[in-house]
Amino acid sequence: MEVVLLFGTIIGLMLIGVPIAVSLGFASIMFLLVLSETSLAAIAQSLFQAMAGHYTLLAIPFFVLASSFMSTGGVARRIIRFSIALVGHFPGGLAIAGVFACMLFAALSGSSPATVVAIGSIVIAGMRQVGYTKDFAAGVIANAGTLGILIPPSIVMVVYASATDVSVGRMFLAGVIPGLMAGGMLMTTIYLIARFRNLPRGEWKGWGEVLESGTEAGWGLFLIVIILGGIYGGIFTPTEAAAVAAVYAFFIASFVYRDMGPLARPEGERNLSLLQKPIALITVFFHRDTRDTLFEAGKLTVTLMFIIANALILKHVLTDEQIPQQIAAVMLNAGFGAVMFLVIVNVILLIGGQFMEPSGLIVIVAPLVFPIAIELGIDPIHLGIIMVVNMEIGMITPPVGLNLFVTSGVAGMPMMRVVRASLPFLAVLFVFLIMVTYIPVLSTWLPTTFMGPEIITK
Amino acid sequence: MPDNHISDSALGRIVNEIEETAIALILGLMTIITFINVVLRYGFNTGIIWGLEATTFLFAWLVLFGVSYAVKVTANLGVDALIGIFSKPVQRVLALIAAAVFIAYSCLVLKGAWDYWANFANLPQTTGRWFPTGLEEMKRTSYRGWYEVVDIPMPEWLRWLEPLMNEGEEYEKIPRFIPYFILPFGMALLLFRVLQASWRILTGRAESLIVSHEAEDAVEGVAHMNRES
Repeated sequence: MEVVLLFGTIIGLMLIGVPIAVSLGFASIMFLLVLSETSLAAIAQSLFQAMAGHYTLLAIPFFVLASSFMSTGGVARRIIRFSIALVGHFPGGLAIAGVFACMLFAALSGSSPATVVAIGSIVIAGMRQVGYTKDFAAGVIANAGTLGILIPPSIVMVVYASATDVSVGRMFLAGVIPGLMAGGMLMTTIYLIARFRNLPRGEWKGWGEVLESGTEAGWGLFLIVIILGGIYGGIFTPTEAAAVAAVYAFFIASFVYRDMGPLARPEGERNLSLLQKPIALITVFFHRDTRDTLFEAGKLTVTLMFIIANALILKHVLTDEQIPQQIAAVMLNAGFGAVMFLVIVNVILLIGGQFMEPSGLIVIVAPLVFPIAIELGIDPIHLGIIMVVNMEIGMITPPVGLNLFVTSGVAGMPMMRVVRASLPFLAVLFVFLIMVTYIPVLSTWLPTTFMGPEIITK
Repeated sequence: MPDNHISDSALGRIVNEIEETAIALILGLMTIITFINVVLRYGFNTGIIWGLEATTFLFAWLVLFGVSYAVKVTANLGVDALIGIFSKPVQRVLALIAAAVFIAYSCLVLKGAWDYWANFANLPQTTGRWFPTGLEEMKRTSYRGWYEVVDIPMPEWLRWLEPLMNEGEEYEKIPRFIPYFILPFGMALLLFRVLQASWRILTGRAESLIVSHEAEDAVEGVAHMNRES
């Protein structure tokens, strides 16, 4: 009963426009003050400890910072050029390249709305120029943009790992095959539609262009190698890997791409080289662009972490009141098995994913469903991937998916047209969701192979 | 549409500059400390022992200081799907209720933050469970200014705190009331910014406290590229 009241309050508050963080925090504080002995001082302490006591969550600001340095328009353009050089000559090539670019950019930025904005704005315009309909273009990008939270490194996975104490490294590895699969399925669909409808294809510009654009984009993409290689090579913890990636991204953006910082020149002019202005090595640290990027990343970190910190108070309530255990008991008594449970998780997350920012949603739902899943013998890593894929699809499920909003803004189209345009691809992703949910080996094979079988502690 | 309420007055601009720079600076410091520690470990087989603790404290400072700023520029994430379907007057009433909840939240957390910090700062906690009903009486055991953090050494320039807070005894590590100070400070700022934001809604200069996703500004920036001509 209490659990219904608690979640009812949270959802009610959210729907009337209370910030997510405050809805979570306020409802939990009320609950703790009324039902338990906890003092407000202890709640304040747990707010402080949300940041100071969670080493895993410390990766978030660094990942956000790395992606802020990498999210400048220049990086998106380089990735798109590389994608077009590679796959643009297939039927429907530009659309396939769009998906490919989204996958690469998603890996760098880790955020779905950011991917739609950066890649979508350029690719949708490009696709219309060569004769695609705007609807087709928007549908492709809205769907491909959601890959951002599935392909590692992903902030949402860091949050899941931290909320449930599984390894971040394992989660990242587990996302690789599903991420490639989702991208592959979208590209195949486009290819088939293109053959059928005779969509335009680009020309093959030769390996020279692939190599050249590849080297250009490679500076940015090497970031993924640093992060994943660093973690699996046992060189860094995920947190350190993220910090190193942030510093790397800073140098690439300032000294190699020179889209920002002391060497950047206004559009149209040639950027300066370091030899022309060696003092830049010092001034870059105080440059306005550097400060602005740090600030933007800091601001995003603050809003994400404020939600997570308050969700941790809620987690405290749930553990105190043994709520997940109660639900698990009810479910087991009713004879629900793992399959039924996963369907319920699917539905909850699809609905939740429509309204809410993914990392916030995961901190709320994970502590609730995780203990139940363990009880039912579901692999924690597999559960994590299911949750991520679910939210991904929630973001493009009508009526109110977040990515639909973003795409409608980016493409300048009414919401309903975006919904209709993205439906065929949404169907593909649904098939993908069912596969991921009921074929655990897709998620667990890579981490088990590389990191050994995992030890589940209840 | 995100509302941006950076004051145009000279003071407003200066305060804004300070807030933004502080956020940037804290994040920059966290990154550099962590990065240097990695380099030291691999390059020189050594490390800054207090690096990790300092980074986690800075992380807490970043978020607890930053939330008030997020309220000021309406950057807090929320759900606007439902409120969108109501008429303007209803939206306004809902926004005011939401603001009241936010104010209540800030007050509760501020009380908790004071109590927690005062505990380590030789200051009296407030009494009362929900609302501060008064100040507790200071007993001999209420003076806990001697509590230190785990790793961060006491810098020389803070030695003047010793006679004030620790009866002249030397601190080996920095005392805990220093990192924890962000709690009452940040939450007081938060309450102040929430009151300001509520006032803006009440006077009709703002519509809500939330944005629906983090890229709202960016969408505006690129919308012109694909607008129907």
